[in-house]
Amino acid sequence: MDVLEKYKEAWDNQDNDTKKVSQVEIYKMMKSKSSSIVKWIFIIGMIEFILLGCSYLFIDFEESNKIYDDLGIKNFVVYSQVVLGAIVIYYLYKFYINYRSISVTENTKSLMNQIVTTRRTVKNYVFINLGYLAIMFSVITTMSFKKFDDFSNMQTIGAIIGMVFFLAVILGLTWLFYQLIYGILLRKLYRNYKDLAKLDDE
Amino acid sequence: MRKNLEKNFLDDFEANQNIVHKICRIYTTNQSDHNDLFQEITIQVWKNYGKFRGDAKFSTWLYRVALNTAISLYRKSTKNIKTQDISDVTYKIKAVEYDDTEERQLKSLYTAIQQLNDIDKALVFLYLEDKSYDEISDTLGISNVNARVKMNRAKDKLKKILNP
Repeated sequence: MDVLEKYKEAWDNQDNDTKKVSQVEIYKMMKSKSSSIVKWIFIIGMIEFILLGCSYLFIDFEESNKIYDDLGIKNFVVYSQVVLGAIVIYYLYKFYINYRSISVTENTKSLMNQIVTTRRTVKNYVFINLGYLAIMFSVITTMSFKKFDDFSNMQTIGAIIGMVFFLAVILGLTWLFYQLIYGILLRKLYRNYKDLAKLDDE
Repeated sequence: MRKNLEKNFLDDFEANQNIVHKICRIYTTNQSDHNDLFQEITIQVWKNYGKFRGDAKFSTWLYRVALNTAISLYRKSTKNIKTQDISDVTYKIKAVEYDDTEERQLKSLYTAIQQLNDIDKALVFLYLEDKSYDEISDTLGISNVNARVKMNRAKDKLKKILNP
């Protein structure tokens, strides 16, 4: 007899009444708050949207508009911010739709796929914002050099190095943030997702 | 209407709770995590109970929602499989006292399954619950052939743990 067969007999004969939970207890549980990964992804995702959205509140628009005007890039800034605004709305919509489509009644693989897609939406959104920041920095730097052409070569190199360093720090911090928050939250899910997806590749 | 739905849910869930307990026992290693997962599964099943049309058996639907919660939605990691809580220890003592072979086998079986990865746990569990390959592939979202291949590997792993 297969070794598993005798264990299966024990499985089939196990007492199913040992851990009875009463209807009253079930009722209390069904009314309690979920702490699922999906809920956390939604909360963290919304925080990211709100934080990035609010970051513009700390900018002194009058002051910065004057600088943009001086540099002759005011139109560029205005148009690019309109485009960015449209992108933000698109991503918020996509994030919400993806989040809504997560259903625990789907099969396991689809469910994990939906969770991963939802999280990827926020990630792309954050990186688009960082990309925009990088473009703005490059444009402002280039235009400043053009305007103040009395910069020496050394000063120019110094400014470029400073700029690259600043961007690297921001990107590094964002990466660290992702490793921490989503790493903790989704490590298990990714491992399981890989395990399940591996089957189809073989 | 709402009250009816709640009543039906409570009846269905109470009658089938042994499925959920078994899943909690293979995906967690102490009583507190067991209760946590049980509660999360209860919430998820209730949240989606309105979508349950009754065209399948409630238990079939429950397997899917409960396994999905354990594999994908539940946050606590069950890395530390050596952790034993008090109830686990008393359980062991009791088993020795009664010298109940089947009880001991069941205990070894659960301990062995706990050492498998999450997907293998689901496969082995569905095998032990006499689910067909069609149902298994449908629940996990993989092809029938893949389910068979993966099942054989999971069973081999389990046999090795049980009979090293």
